Amino acid sequence: MNQFKHHFFIFMFLSIAITSEAFSQQTISGTVTQVNGLPISGANVYLDGTYDGDSTNELGSFSFETTETGVQTLSISFVSYETFMMAASVNDMNDLSIQLKEDVNSLDTVVITAGTFEASDNSKVSVLKPLDVVTTASALGDFVGAIQTLPGTTTVAEDGRLFVRGGDAGETQIYIDGIRVFTPYSPTTNNTPTRGRYSPFLFDGITFSTGGYSAEYGQALSSVLLLSTVDEPDQEKTEISLMTVGGGLGNTQKWEKSSLSVNASYINLAPYIALLPDRNNWQKPYETISGEAVFRQHFEKGILKIYSAFDTSNFQLDYEDINDPEGVNFSLKNNNFYSNASYSGDLSSSWKIQTGGSFTTAKDKIGIGNDNIIDTENSAHLKLKLKKRFSNRYKLNIGVDQLITDFEEEYVSETFSESYGFNNNISGIFAEGDIIFSRKFAMKVGARGEYSGLFDEYTVSPRVSIAYKTGKSSQLSLAYGDFYQQPGSEILKFETDLKARKTQHYILNYQYSANNRIFRAEAYRKQYNGLITYNTPTPEFSSNYTNNGDGYAQGIDLFFRDDESIKNIDYWVSYSFLDTKRKYQNFPIEATPSFANTHNLSVVAKYWIEDWKSQIGFSYNYGSSRTYTDLNRPGFLQDKTKDYNSLSLNWAYLLSQQQILYFSINNALGFTNVNGYQYADAPNTNGVYNRRALLPAADQFFFVGFFWSISDDGTDNQLDKL
Amino acid sequence: MKKIVIILIAIISFQGISQSSETKTKYQQGMLKAFDLWQNNQSLEAANMFERIAIAEPDNWLPPFYIAQINVFNSFSEKDKTTVTAQLGKARDFLNDAMALSKDNPEIMVLEAQWYTAWVVFDGMQYGMKYSPKIAELYQKAMQLAPENPRVVLGNTEWQMGSAQFFGQPVDKYCPEIERAIALFDTFEPEGEFYPRGGKDYAESVLAKTCK
Repeated sequence: MNQFKHHFFIFMFLSIAITSEAFSQQTISGTVTQVNGLPISGANVYLDGTYDGDSTNELGSFSFETTETGVQTLSISFVSYETFMMAASVNDMNDLSIQLKEDVNSLDTVVITAGTFEASDNSKVSVLKPLDVVTTASALGDFVGAIQTLPGTTTVAEDGRLFVRGGDAGETQIYIDGIRVFTPYSPTTNNTPTRGRYSPFLFDGITFSTGGYSAEYGQALSSVLLLSTVDEPDQEKTEISLMTVGGGLGNTQKWEKSSLSVNASYINLAPYIALLPDRNNWQKPYETISGEAVFRQHFEKGILKIYSAFDTSNFQLDYEDINDPEGVNFSLKNNNFYSNASYSGDLSSSWKIQTGGSFTTAKDKIGIGNDNIIDTENSAHLKLKLKKRFSNRYKLNIGVDQLITDFEEEYVSETFSESYGFNNNISGIFAEGDIIFSRKFAMKVGARGEYSGLFDEYTVSPRVSIAYKTGKSSQLSLAYGDFYQQPGSEILKFETDLKARKTQHYILNYQYSANNRIFRAEAYRKQYNGLITYNTPTPEFSSNYTNNGDGYAQGIDLFFRDDESIKNIDYWVSYSFLDTKRKYQNFPIEATPSFANTHNLSVVAKYWIEDWKSQIGFSYNYGSSRTYTDLNRPGFLQDKTKDYNSLSLNWAYLLSQQQILYFSINNALGFTNVNGYQYADAPNTNGVYNRRALLPAADQFFFVGFFWSISDDGTDNQLDKL
Repeated sequence: MKKIVIILIAIISFQGISQSSETKTKYQQGMLKAFDLWQNNQSLEAANMFERIAIAEPDNWLPPFYIAQINVFNSFSEKDKTTVTAQLGKARDFLNDAMALSKDNPEIMVLEAQWYTAWVVFDGMQYGMKYSPKIAELYQKAMQLAPENPRVVLGNTEWQMGSAQFFGQPVDKYCPEIERAIALFDTFEPEGEFYPRGGKDYAESVLAKTCK
């Protein structure tokens, strides 16, 4: 009753006010300042929903007249300040004194960064841009090569795959649009680094996590690399490339709601090797034919992407071998097909769905001397993920996925032939919540459960990370997680009575980012358990396998990128310190494996010279010595190689809008790097084991390419493809 | 890279202020006042006025379009990074509003192309390679939708001309297109009141400067 009276009173008062002021003008005035008292000029002051208003002058003051009456809402807005709103009678809007607060919301809210590097154009935690993949001198257009300039990776020059924080290459998994890739690397000889199989220009987002990643991802002990394909290509075009090592052709077509990009390439190293022979004795230099297609269809509430890639490669050569003066003849034929379909869209205003699947069929025919090995792998990944947004502060991800692998190996020698393999089914379920307590404090907490049919084993991995903002541009993150991964096919093909291997990650991360400069420091500790051991020099049928291996890795990763201080120069520096030991495989004692070194440094710089229409790139990689076992002295992995050094340069010259000439040299200064040593199986007559240095196939690599894009309007070029 | 784009400041459409104010709606009065402020070099006040109109007229694409246009044009001459980021951020918000209200609108496509161009002008190294294809695509789409719109023809031609200049190629072949754009300004009929109509003076200055 009281309430009613109150309203009635206001109503009466308003009607009176309206009648008396119906045709008179009321002046609204005041000043707008920052919290510290300094005036704000140019702020927009107005009565909501009317045309009446003013902009503040240099002194922050405003004044305007209105014919509106009664209670109105006065709004004051200005870029990067919170909009001020006040409801009052226009009569009272005189000589107002208003302070605007800085808007710290949208851009400045804390983001969980422990373990994660992003390459995108939008994210503020982004450390690489998509273009970096193709403009980093040492990367040669390979996304894996670009990632190797980030901290947490180890230089294993002869391999080319990702070795993260004391983990071997098999501990990193790669995903395209959230779906697993099973055979991400191209086949190669054992003294030439491999490359990522997929062309970098199809991706516009790369997230590289060196630990502590989301419960969405399983079967990776050390790291995940997430690639997302372009949603919509910029324009229709045809692309032609001519390189010293081959050529390529691509075409993109766009329609109302869909688009299709296809490309094909042919690479043959024969002419290059004829001109610049390397250390291998080639019978058939490396040759590959590959094709890719991406189809994208936009629906009202979602997008479907279908990506397929096929490639076939072959080569044959004689490897040097200390035990065989003639060398060992090695040949490889590989066929690989990968297809990935994914749909992501809205189910309702608060539910989102992401679902898809991938399928790989890969066949390797390997000849070693007179023996032949044929590997056939058929793998699939199916995944369904739902995302529920309860509010801006609370989001939930839930999902299930299924990994299916069918691996078969056929070994044919002069004396026997044998066929063996395994079938693997892993079912996963995960749930993860994002909770934002305030702009300063956020948390991600989740868990992943897996069941392996092969091992009849259940695993549960909790994952949690928190982030706290310590200042306007800085924050601290902490992460913990358990990670399980089954042994690789090199073990499972001989023995399946095993369990999954396990790591635990502890990560502390500090990040400062402001004005195109970003600094990150991360300290971590990783505990390995259940690593596979065996009692023979290499895994065999007759070996005795156990899950009794263990180990640790700990270290500090530093990253600094600056795109601001020096005009037209963009550079970054990465440094990693790693301390790791493990007892696994056939190690007699706990030791540092030969793929792990203590110090790694990368310096990458790009310089844009406008008058030359050129971008010049520079990258320097340093890796400290790696371990090897010297058979002539007692001990195991007790000796170290010399340090690794490489300086790479590239130069992209724009001939016209559509034509680019590209040069690059890897290891321009010609350092001779030694990756390790191979010792003879038996000592010589003096009782000494002879050895041979494991050298790269070639110390240097030169590349010249001409890239030509043909689009209707003639402005696109392939700079993003180099 | 910065040189490749000639600032497009002058494509502003001023409306004649001839009718007496009594016969006008609040909307018309507000728009006229905003254009008046803009013409008198008070672009910020004009943007604020357009913003007030945008809030009062939530279904009309023109006020957000002009707010975005003012911010884009102002950023062409701005060197300070924080300011450019704020201006173009604001322009993007209103550009999105305008696009949501009016789909497949060639005038908005031209403005969006200019929004990307502003980034290229600001930092050619960082944005040149990234946005050039997007800009080209927008002009191409606008040309398909409105081949006779003088601002579309002018923008498209000028972008191609700028790129040609950057690569030291002759630009004479673009001159007939600029002349065609100038002729189109005389015959072009805006679809409605306060629709974009300006740019002829600027087209003539481009012709005088590059085609002699």
